[in-house]
Amino acid sequence: MAETDGRALGIDALSKTFGGKVPVEVFSGFSLDVRPGEFLSIVGPSGCGKSTLLQVVAGLIPATGGCVTLGGRDVTGAPAHMVYLFQQYSKSLLPWMTAEDNVIFAFNHRLRLGEREARARAREHLAMVGLADSGSVYPWQLSGGMQQRVAIARALSADPKVLLMDEPFSSVDALTRMELHKLISELWEQKRFTTILVTHDVDEAIFLSDRIVLLSRRPARIAELLETGLPRPRRVVETHEDPHFLALRHALLEGLLGA
Amino acid sequence: MRNLAPGIGFIIVVLAAIEAAARGGLVNAAVVPPPSAVAVQLAQILASGVFVMPLLQTLATLFAGYAAGCAAGIVLGILMGSFRAVYGLFEPLTELLRPIPKPALLPALILFLGLGSTMKITLVALAAFFPVLVSTVQGTRGVEGAMIDMARTFGYRPAQILWKIVLPAAAPYIAVGMRVSLGIALVVLVVAEMLAETGGLGGSLIAMQHQFMVRQTYGWLVIIAVIGFTLNALFVRVERRLTFWSVPS
Repeated sequence: MAETDGRALGIDALSKTFGGKVPVEVFSGFSLDVRPGEFLSIVGPSGCGKSTLLQVVAGLIPATGGCVTLGGRDVTGAPAHMVYLFQQYSKSLLPWMTAEDNVIFAFNHRLRLGEREARARAREHLAMVGLADSGSVYPWQLSGGMQQRVAIARALSADPKVLLMDEPFSSVDALTRMELHKLISELWEQKRFTTILVTHDVDEAIFLSDRIVLLSRRPARIAELLETGLPRPRRVVETHEDPHFLALRHALLEGLLGA
Repeated sequence: MRNLAPGIGFIIVVLAAIEAAARGGLVNAAVVPPPSAVAVQLAQILASGVFVMPLLQTLATLFAGYAAGCAAGIVLGILMGSFRAVYGLFEPLTELLRPIPKPALLPALILFLGLGSTMKITLVALAAFFPVLVSTVQGTRGVEGAMIDMARTFGYRPAQILWKIVLPAAAPYIAVGMRVSLGIALVVLVVAEMLAETGGLGGSLIAMQHQFMVRQTYGWLVIIAVIGFTLNALFVRVERRLTFWSVPS
């Protein structure tokens, strides 16, 4: 991808106000540069507008002002190579399709592969998330963690240059969440797609990210911008015990809990 | 598999009780004939083949009207469920027309369309239309926003989303409306046939009654009952296969 301005994704003076009897200004004049291939997390108190920010960036809801540029070009609608991973995996997977067909749904309207090639590509991506044998199973026959793995396989099969994740691990149990953290960090280390993760889980943000943006309460602005600087590959047990990890955790929690 | 024995046994007990009552003189056998006598008449109707033409007439009329009513209900229902403006435009009118008992339209329809199949097909279509419309609107509005957003982020266009997400996601609801409609469609069709006396199973039924052939009347009634039962059973089987992933509450 040609990053004509040196940033994978540019957010410039972005504003969003929800109309209505009492207009709600979610954020205004919000700017952020996302570097090519970095893993960036946006952390903030609940209701601060971080999910709205991500939805505007994805072109799912229109901005009130400002612009988002992807590889130097304005984002309108849903750009190719920008993929969104939803919090509600169980609602974003199509229950009338097998896991394999759900994955194919993500790429084949663009790639138009033949039946056999499309299935091979889907199986390859299911194998990446450890579901090589679950292609012919329906989403509702899988556990929550496995459903989110299908959703991850689906997202990656669309060959994202930019991956947007909206609290994708918030509705699975703690152990499954750590397994998914490990999976995502391994996949990211292989492929290095530019990633923005929105989360309220500080540990998750530190474990996965290169940089962390801490948002203030509404209207959201950048309260802090931290480089994690933790060594890669990240390891589920060791990384969480790293003194630098703990220092970051301390700083972020203080910021979040309104010190 | 559900144990059918108690239910079937009870039907046999009820039939035996009617048989005994009719033969023992507890009820007027001219009005309530013994089931065994009805069975003899039914066997004659079946053996002589006189049921074939009325049955085919009824089924052809039913399917023509039902298909038209369902198609219209699904198309308008998806539009009303997807676009607020379309909903605002049609909702008051459909809510006004929906509660009219459809057989009450018969006199007007006979005036406009006569006693033939056009009138019957129109009535069946109207009767099938409303339940399908209501359930399609409900199903379309109930489609998960996350599903639609997911398709949008993968670059699907609105028309593709309608076809690949909204229609299948609403299908279980649409199917419920279509199952309800099928029963209603048969009811209004038999009523129309009885009133018009121009063929069909309802026409045969009323013709027997006019000739005071009570046992034959019951024989035709059994045929209509079996048709209704069979159509519903077939529908449920198809419905389960097509919407296997969902059981709407």
